Amino acid sequence: MDLAVTAPPGGMTTVPGNRGIWVGILCELSEFALMFLAWAWFRQAHPEDFRAGPAMLNAGAGVANTVVMLTSGYFAVRAVLAIRRDDAVAARNWLVATLLGGLAFLLIKAFEFSWNIEHGVVGTGNSFVAMYYYLSFNHLVHVVWGCLGLIWAILRAQFGAYGAAEHEGLEAAVLYWHATDLAWIVIFPLLYVLH
Amino acid sequence: MTNIDIHRATTVWLGLLVLTLGSAWLGEGALPAGLTAVVVALIVGVKGLLVIRHYMGLTEPGSRLRLAMRLYFVVVPVLIVVSAGLGA
Repeated sequence: MDLAVTAPPGGMTTVPGNRGIWVGILCELSEFALMFLAWAWFRQAHPEDFRAGPAMLNAGAGVANTVVMLTSGYFAVRAVLAIRRDDAVAARNWLVATLLGGLAFLLIKAFEFSWNIEHGVVGTGNSFVAMYYYLSFNHLVHVVWGCLGLIWAILRAQFGAYGAAEHEGLEAAVLYWHATDLAWIVIFPLLYVLH
Repeated sequence: MTNIDIHRATTVWLGLLVLTLGSAWLGEGALPAGLTAVVVALIVGVKGLLVIRHYMGLTEPGSRLRLAMRLYFVVVPVLIVVSAGLGA
């Protein structure tokens, strides 16, 4: 399938990142699309579970994590803008800020899971709660992958691998981070908002 | 990421935060369930399209990749509305 991530003559691409990362992003979003279908299926099969479900969760943690993800994505954009100005130090610092956002997301999730256990929100016998853990853990795995990619980009930036002329790897790490953000943009209302 | 400046990136970020807080408010049961689903679906679509355009930089006209990504944030909101309609 031609997805237009082909480098035109002269080596300039009109699509950010590289072909490999877009394969990864499309695979990630396809995986989440199947999970969203499963959410819709189980919502029809067990409407009472899903109607009462969001009220069982810590909505504050869900909102906080959404704000953290969106803010972290903004920092990632700033990293790309900085490297395009050939300011590698600023780009590295913005990447570190992006990573700190990712780590904050993981910490909030750890708090949320602990809160869940204290309040009896466990994934047995309730379709909504099972779906909540299924979506949350899968997204968590992608956040961890994204953090690892950011760490790699930070190290490369630290050692001078990126500049205004060449920063494809940095863009790829940032694009993956945005894709993880996109998945969360859908997950947040499915779990915390829709009654 | 292409064709974006700091001012626009900041504006988009603030817009995304406002939309998130709007969603959270809807979660408090401010509107009937069916209307909530429609508004939430619209918010999901707008947030997704904003990230795709301004954060990811998919702005090339005619790009199949951009089309595929945009379609995702049309189909998923439709799924949300249909699911809410069937569950009503």
